[in-house]
Amino acid sequence: MSAPAAEISELTVQAARRCVLDIEQLNLPAGQITALLGRNGAGKTTLLRACLGFVKLARGAVRVLDCDVPRLEAAALARFRRRIGYVPQLLPIRSEMPLTVREVVAIGRTGRAGLFRSFTRTDWQVVDEWIERLGLGALAGRSFAEISGGEQRKAIIARAMAQQPELLILDEPTANLDLGWRERMVEIIQQIHAETALPILLVCHELEVLPPACRNVVLLGDGRVLAVGTPENVFTGERVTALYGAGLRVIHEHGRHAVVPRGGAHV
Amino acid sequence: MFDLVFWLPVMVGGTVAGASSGLLGTFIVGMRIPFLGVCVAHAALAGAVFGSLCGLEGQALLFPALAGSVLTALVLGLLDPQRVHLDDNVVLSFLFSATMGLAFLGIGLHGILGRSDNDVRGLLWGSLNFCRWRDVWLMLASAGALVIYIALFFKELRAIMFSRADAAAAGIRVTVVWSGLLILIAVVLTVNFQTVGGLMIYSLISNPAAAAFQLVKGCRRVMLWSAILGAASGLGGFLISAATDLPSGAVIVLVSSALLAVAALIRRWR
Repeated sequence: MSAPAAEISELTVQAARRCVLDIEQLNLPAGQITALLGRNGAGKTTLLRACLGFVKLARGAVRVLDCDVPRLEAAALARFRRRIGYVPQLLPIRSEMPLTVREVVAIGRTGRAGLFRSFTRTDWQVVDEWIERLGLGALAGRSFAEISGGEQRKAIIARAMAQQPELLILDEPTANLDLGWRERMVEIIQQIHAETALPILLVCHELEVLPPACRNVVLLGDGRVLAVGTPENVFTGERVTALYGAGLRVIHEHGRHAVVPRGGAHV
Repeated sequence: MFDLVFWLPVMVGGTVAGASSGLLGTFIVGMRIPFLGVCVAHAALAGAVFGSLCGLEGQALLFPALAGSVLTALVLGLLDPQRVHLDDNVVLSFLFSATMGLAFLGIGLHGILGRSDNDVRGLLWGSLNFCRWRDVWLMLASAGALVIYIALFFKELRAIMFSRADAAAAGIRVTVVWSGLLILIAVVLTVNFQTVGGLMIYSLISNPAAAAFQLVKGCRRVMLWSAILGAASGLGGFLISAATDLPSGAVIVLVSSALLAVAALIRRWR
């Protein structure tokens, strides 16, 4: 059995003298999609940032891709981050942004190419391959600031994949997307996992966003792990009621999951 | 009669100042930190003021001015906005008020000690018409260093311009590359300030870059067009002022503003 993509033990993170993350033990299995769910302020993004080495730990160990993250010095930390594709929740959208979609995707190759080195033909081939695979070919020369929110998200995923990562971290990749774009994004995550077998750490708020391939869910609450398991085991009716209040029920069907009002879904 | 021997360094100086300010304006406008120009100017002024109090004068004041502006740039470069929970513009605002306070404290001390502060004031309000070849060489050297740096770290700077946080997450040495650029921005602006004055530089940082953003896409093209439009503002403005006998600094500012307006109209008509 291969080593976990990430191992977290006795982790405590504090902010403004308040404990925002307190995890005894958590392993993210290799080659699987792990979804991190929880209410606002549960500590999901803080955990992602701890995995990337952006957070100072009060105590504990965070081991990702066999690297002891808190102990890495600046150069080693940069090398480590090149192995992780990260799609942030918030996209930097500015009308003055001069970068084209192709240039934004190329950012994923920048760290790998190294200082003082220009992109090789291979670098551009990888960039163009992911632009095509995510259906952005017609937009490659367009300004990133001018394309739609869904297309921007796809470009950022293409950027993360152009890094040829060993771990993909997606922080609410469907935030602010309409239903159609949300479904396309779920398909993209499913497709990437099927084609690459990458371990994927997915942060989301809605069960609907979980791709069918996601069989490992971590539920966080107030910085602690409340439950770990399959979506069906973690998101039981009782737990959803306890978390989000009464009047809700959970549907698990054909590998997809949804929370709907108890009044029933109208067809 | 137009005395070319006298005015040639002025024309070259205006062109170089326009091109270099336009080039670095791509990053300043692209990252939405236009306050950086004002901040660096006052840091340079503070450095020069205290240099003057220590007995330096004339061209020698450039060294403490550079020290002040580079130190300020380093503070900005080394501060991690996520760690200090402050936006770049808030940090710039703090640095601006601190350096301005220091500069005016120093100017006040000149009065108390009965010393002249003319050399120091000239740093902020230098005039292009007094630009000589020695100034032009300095401007060319600092602009050349900027161009070499951008060429060496182009792909990293492009990523940083998109987002410093994203660039750091992608394994780019953001602090090193960003601090290096800030230091060069401080040097180029300080050299340009003392030669052609603050008012002109502010407009040459923002207007050509903003105009280039209207006209072309792609980081390389925007930088090229920003430098060209900056150079055109500097040279064109001077030539118009020479032909009309109007103040050169004001005409250069107006030409760069007009170029931005025309670029915005072209984008609208496309």
